[in-house]
Parts: sequence; structure tokens; C-alpha cells
Amino acid sequence: MNSSKWIWRVVSIVSVLATVLLLAGFVYAIKDIQNPKAAAEQSSPSATPQESTGAKSPEAKKDLKIAVIGDSLAKGTGDNSGMGFARRTVSELAKDSGRKATLLNNLGINGLTTTGLLPKLEEKGTQYVLGQADVILLSIGGNDLFQGADLATKGISGTSNPGTGTELDPKDLLKGLPKASTQLKAILERIRAINPEAWIVYVGLYNPFGDIEELKIPGNQAVASWNQSALQTINKYSSMSLVPTFDLFQHNLDKYLSSDHFHPNGDGYQQIAERIVQGIR
Amino acid sequence: MNMANNLDRKEQVVLSVEHVKKKIGRKWIIEDVTFDVREGEIFGFLGPNGAGKTTTIRMLVDLIKPSSGMIQVCGFDVNRQQEQALRYVGSIVENPEVYSYLTGWENLEHFARMQPGIDKRRIQEVVDIVRLDQRIHDKVRTYSLGMRQRLGIAQALLGRPKLLILDEPTNGLDPKGIKELRQFIRELADGGLAVFVSSHLLSEIQLLCDRVAIISRGRVLAVGQVEELVAANAKYVIWELEPAETGRRLLAGQGIDVIEQADAILDDAIIAGMGPDAIVTRMEEEDISAAVKHLVASGVAVQGVHQINPTLEQLFLKMTEGESID
Amino acid sequence: MINLLPLIKNETIKIIKKKRFYVILLILLVLVPIFTYAQMRSAERTREKFHGDWRLEVQQQITDNENSLGSDRVPDEWKKYRKIFVQQLQYYLDHDVNPNEPNGVTFTREFMANSITLFIPLLIMAIASDIVSGERTSGTIKMLLTRPVKRWKVLLSKLVTLFMFSSLIVVSAFIITYVVSGAVFGYKGFDMPVFTGFQITGSDVDLSAVHAVPQWKYLLMQGGLIWFVSLTIASLAFMVSVLVRSTAASIVVMMAALIAGTILTNMASAWSSAKYLFMVNLELTDYLSGTPAPIEGMNLSFSLAVLSVWAVAALIISFLVFTKRDILN
Repeated sequence: MNSSKWIWRVVSIVSVLATVLLLAGFVYAIKDIQNPKAAAEQSSPSATPQESTGAKSPEAKKDLKIAVIGDSLAKGTGDNSGMGFARRTVSELAKDSGRKATLLNNLGINGLTTTGLLPKLEEKGTQYVLGQADVILLSIGGNDLFQGADLATKGISGTSNPGTGTELDPKDLLKGLPKASTQLKAILERIRAINPEAWIVYVGLYNPFGDIEELKIPGNQAVASWNQSALQTINKYSSMSLVPTFDLFQHNLDKYLSSDHFHPNGDGYQQIAERIVQGIR
Repeated sequence: MNMANNLDRKEQVVLSVEHVKKKIGRKWIIEDVTFDVREGEIFGFLGPNGAGKTTTIRMLVDLIKPSSGMIQVCGFDVNRQQEQALRYVGSIVENPEVYSYLTGWENLEHFARMQPGIDKRRIQEVVDIVRLDQRIHDKVRTYSLGMRQRLGIAQALLGRPKLLILDEPTNGLDPKGIKELRQFIRELADGGLAVFVSSHLLSEIQLLCDRVAIISRGRVLAVGQVEELVAANAKYVIWELEPAETGRRLLAGQGIDVIEQADAILDDAIIAGMGPDAIVTRMEEEDISAAVKHLVASGVAVQGVHQINPTLEQLFLKMTEGESID
Repeated sequence: MINLLPLIKNETIKIIKKKRFYVILLILLVLVPIFTYAQMRSAERTREKFHGDWRLEVQQQITDNENSLGSDRVPDEWKKYRKIFVQQLQYYLDHDVNPNEPNGVTFTREFMANSITLFIPLLIMAIASDIVSGERTSGTIKMLLTRPVKRWKVLLSKLVTLFMFSSLIVVSAFIITYVVSGAVFGYKGFDMPVFTGFQITGSDVDLSAVHAVPQWKYLLMQGGLIWFVSLTIASLAFMVSVLVRSTAASIVVMMAALIAGTILTNMASAWSSAKYLFMVNLELTDYLSGTPAPIEGMNLSFSLAVLSVWAVAALIISFLVFTKRDILN
């Protein structure tokens, strides 16, 4: 019959303690938010050393770890299945050689240019991912070359049509070339420095406007000279290769381009992936 | 013998209600209510449903504030000094609504905590008074209506009040329960408690109350001792005459008040005992023999003359004659 | 004159005996395992995808968010959020701290941050909405108010009891979440550093004031903010409970207000005076984690002020109405 007494004792004591605790937390929170620097003494936390991931353990070494970085092509824009050449490469590798390949990360970002990629390489997260990889797939430069095509990359499919391309001034195609080439060189070298062991595969450019009269010739020229200058850098390193795509698409634009007439479609990506796999072997 | 006691303490007014009015919305629910309740008396508050009884009772215990007028308990204004005034009041307003998820004992403990000076012994005392000790540690959920009623009274008595307010206490009780309750209330009053009882069943209260107030449509129609009120009322006489029509005409011709719709005024029990041709009149006792003579002289056979004992119900029905209750 | 303590004791006993508090604990005990399980599944899946390497996961999160920044179909407001989010994730990566390290404490932190707008208020309302209207529904209010106790004292005792139980609910939610999720994710993580102090100006994050606090301290601060929100909700529900006779109706009124709040939070940025509504100001923990406020011009002191004004107004109304009102039934 003393249950009332106990209820009261327990509830009152516990609730008062709870209130005091929460009130303290509240005061502390206000102080911390309003005056954040007051507590900033430990602003650089000692990096938590305990967990340095099992990724580099010998057991995992058997797997081929693939990292993808670059522009919308790297991301796989235009592929309705969402796989892009990144995942297609992984599954091709598995099918082909039975080697278990895993995709670490796909760091492709729509509309990325060489200018945008360079600072990314300085980010810790990016470096970490690239450092883990056995194979690094890189696709960059298309946006530097076909700047007008930025539009096409935004509306992933449907909104754009070949018309956007026609607004390109053919002469502009070549204008940005020298600077972009230098930056590509810097990018490749930086990636090499981040991970000296990984196999780096650069996906060459193709000319998506090969079927447009006034863009066909200048486009081809620009793409060819870009790929050429990329090769110059790539040839300097042993474990680096360029996967050509120019010839793949040259006469198959209808077959391999997606509806935005800029990015490859699933079949296009599949072709690229197959070539990448051949290059890795 | 109670009467004598009451007269001795006549000056001890426990509850005084003066010109209380209450307006709810645009309607005057209580138009003018004035009465006193004294120590040791049982005061009946009578009226039909909707007359304003419950509203008045709620004002007595500060659930409703009067629009004007003053209510005092033992000299304290209920609305301004409720802490002092309500200390002397124990009440059940409408049904005895207690916490059904607590036991009877826990309920009493709950109410005891709200008033200083009530210890465990007092709780046990009131439990014994209402004879609930068998089931007091059961959850109220399992109680019968009668037991809840008793628990309600127990909580009302907890604070040793000077005034006990019971609103329709006989509701839901069987005849035996009503009888017990009456006896119980009488015992309390003999102990010096002033008991204020409201009811719409006038006959059952008549047996219980020392004094009554009759309320209808928000007004007090009469206040006084039951005997005085009833005695002051005109008497009814039932005639059984042959031939009835001639008799009725003759009585009316004598200036006697013949009542056409007797069932609106008389107790049901009396109406049930009347013949189909009975004539009801309102007249003084001393006029009866003259009327009989006149009837006999005119050749009407007088088969029966009954004088009806006056009751509160008849008084009430007469006072509210012609009013419909909404 | 009777003091408040016995009255508070009464109210406490009634809440416990009415099993209101047990119901709340029961809700927590049923729901938290469900959320924990869901979280466990999604954690398993991401672990599979990223081979248990949180850096890869965070980096992918960054990339995904950056990608959506380019899309025209993402509203500008969301872009702002994501931009800020990316910068914060970057900060975690740079400092080698896993923001979503799977352990009981982290789960508790995230769960509580998500509970502040709806779940915790709901639990508070389970008690608050009933505390006055319950007495009216059952008619016991008549018994309560015919005691020789002033009405404001009766009401104050109920309010104090409600606040006591609000504290209990917040602490119980923390404890139950920790205990249940810890069984799955492990009970460690109190010392893990969590960053706070992100200062948001426009769509940029000022990192100069960012500092790490151990997670237990973060939980404490979070608890304090949730507690403040709970008291505000309790006060508002208390007012509704005084004004509305039925418990069900009073719960519905409060629920409607809260849900309107969550909807508004998602789309109110265009209507800037919505920031004076209490419902949009409930996410106090966002100021701690550095999530941008839904409407320009909101900050911690603003939100605290708005909530306080609402709570105080609600209490004033409650007391005025309760002490003046006629109890007609």
C-alpha cells in the first residue's frame, strides 16, 4: 500500500536529476553555439588512429580496386541503367578474367573541367580514394573542349538537342586547347604522385558533333590534337594508358550516343568499358 | 425532537446565499436566489430538472462564479476567499466522479493531500463511516454505483466539513439504498453538520428535510420549514358525487374553486385512487359542511368526500402551475 | 494555505497510475528497435558497398551532393543545404573523423536530432494533452476544484509535474535509444570527436570556429536543446489541454500544428515571416550540427526567443482561462 510513496520518491528524485542534467546541457549548448571560440582549444582533433581501415590488408589485395574520377562520362551520364563505364568495367572484368574487381568510388561530377578537377585532387578524401585504388579511371577534358555543351550536361537527357551544339563557334574549340592540355598534364602527374602504383587509364575524347556539317572537321581536329597531347604525357609513364574512343564513335554516333547527343548511351559506355578491360589486362 | 435542537442553534448560519444571479451567454440561468442553511439542519433544495439547481450548487463550491450576489460559508466569501470557505465544505456535485484508475483508498489519500490536517486515521474513520472498508483497496473501476456514491460521501466528509452538499444523492439508488441514505444523512445532521440536499424528487426529500427552498426557472419560490409551507397551502378536497355533472355545477356556483386538470397538481398515488368522475376542489376545511348541505339539498348524492393531506409535491406543482419546464 | 508539494505528488501519482508514462516507455521500446534495425540494414549495405571504409563512403556522399549542385531541377534552397553539407563532410574527412561512425552513441545522437520536431513532441503530448482535459473528460475536475485550494495552485502543480515528466521523457528517450542501439552497434563512442561551431553565412560555412567536442558532451548539449523544445511543446499542449475539453481533440490540435510545422520547414523559405511560428523553430539541434536554418535570419537566440514567447504566452493564457472559467460540466 506504500506504492504511492515509492512512486513519488522515485519519480521526484529522478525527474529533478534529469532536469538538472538537461538544464546543464542547455546552458552548455547555448554557450557553445553563441560563443563557439570559447571552446575551440581542441580545434585540431588528434586524428583517430585506431581504425585505419581494412582496405589495405593482404586479404583484400587480391581484389582489383577501381576508382573513377572526372566528368559526366566518368559518372555515367546518359546511361539509362546508371552503370556508366565504371560499373560496366567492373562487371566486364569479372566476366572476362574472373578477377574480382570492386568499385571503390565513382567521383565523377557532371560538368567538371580540368580547372575544376585540379583542386579536387588536393582534397583529402579524393586523395584517400585514389590512394586506395589499383586502377584509376579518368575522364576529363570534354567540358573544356565543348564548353557550350555544359548545357547538355545539365539536363541529363531530353532537354537538349543537337541544336545546342550548333551554337558552338568552331573556332572556339581550339582556343582553350593549350591551357586545358597543360592542365590535363598536371592532373595526370598529380594522380601519379598521389598513387605511384596504380594503373591509370585515361579515357580519350570523341567528337560528339561528327554528324554536324560545320562542326565535324574542327571538332575532329580539336579532339585529335587533345588526345595527341594527352598521349605525350601518358607515354612518359609506364603504368598509364589512354583508351581511344574517337574511332568508336566516329561513325556510330547514332548507335552509341544518348538522346542528349553528347553523352554515350548504355551501349556506348559498354564499348568504352570493353576497351578499358582490354587495356588493363 | 430534532426540531428542538434546530431551534437552539438557529443563529448559526453556515451557508448564506444572497441575491445570487448568474448569466450564461445571454440567458439568465439564475435570476435571484437567496437562502440560509443553519448548523445541524437538513436543507432541501427542490426543483425540476433545468430549474437551476446544479448551477446554484456549482456556485456554492466555486465551480461557477456568480454574476452578482454573495455566497458565504461560515462567514467567508466562497469566490474571494475560497481557501478558507471551502475548507468547511464537503460536496458531491452531480455524480461522485473519482479517479477510476486509483483504488478507493488512493482516491481518499489524493483528496486528503489537498487539505491540511487529514491523516491516515481520518481516512480510516470516513471509510468506516461509509462502511466501505471491505473494498477500499480495490480499484474504483470495479465499484458499483452505490459504492461510488459512498466513496463520494467519504471524500466529502474527509475534511470534517461544517456543510455537506449533496447533489441528487438518491440518483441511481434502489429504494433500500435511498432509505439507508436518508438515515445516514439524518445521523450526520444530528452530529451538528449542516446538510444541503438537492433533488427533483420532492416526496422523498419531504421525509428528510427540516427546511426546503423551492426553485423554478432560476428563482426561489419559497423557503421555509416543510410543515409551515405545506400548512399554508390551500387544501384539496375530492368529491364523489352522483350525478357528477350537476354536482360540479353546484360546487362552482358556490364560489368553490373547481380544478379542471387535477393530474397536473396531485400526487400520482392519489390520482390513481380516484374514480373517473371525481371532482377536485381547492377550499378551506370549514367550508366543506356547508357545501355538503347545499349539494344534498339540491338532490345530489354525496358518495364520498376526502380531504387530501398536503404534500410538497402538490405545493410545488401549484406554485409552478401553468409553467412548462424546458 | 496548502503548499504545492502535495499537489505535485498527487499529479505524479495520477500520471504513473494512469499508466501514461508506461505507454511512452513502451512506444520507445517498440519504435527504437525498429529504427535501429532499419539503420543496421542500411549500414550493412553501405559497408558492403564501400568495403567498410568510411572515407570512401563520405567521399561518395560528397561527390553525389556535388553532382546534384549542377542540376537545374534541384531547388536553390536545397543546393545551399548540400553545399554546406559538402563543406562539412569535407571538414570531417580532412580531420580524419568519421561523422557516421556506427556505434550506439552516434545512433543515439542522430536519432535524437531527427526526433526533435515530431517524435519527442509526440511523446510529450501524450502526457500534456491529457493533464487537464483528462480531468474534464472524467468529471474529476469538479472534485479537484472544490478543495480549499486556489485554482492557480492546482494548475501550477500540474504544470510542474508536466515539466518533471518532460525531463523524464527526454532522458528516457536518450537512455532507451542508447541501450537498444548499443546492443546492435556497440556501446562505445562517447569519446568520439564531433565537430560543432559551423557558422553559416549565406551559402558558405565559416570554419574558423569549428571545434571538436567529445560525443558525450555533444549528447549533453543536444539533450539540453531537446529539453527546451520539449518544455515549449509541453506549455503549448498544456494550454490546448486547458482550452479543449477532450483529450483526443487536444492531441489532434497539437498534432496538426506540429505537422504543419514540418511541412512549412520544407517550403517556407519564401515566406519569411513564417519564422515567427513556433513550429519552424523546433530544430534547435541544427544550430549545434551546423545545418542551415530553414528561413534566412534564424539563429539560436532568435529561435529560443520565439519559442519562449510562445511558451510564456501559452502559459499566461492557460492560467487566465483556468482561474476564471466556469466549470459547467
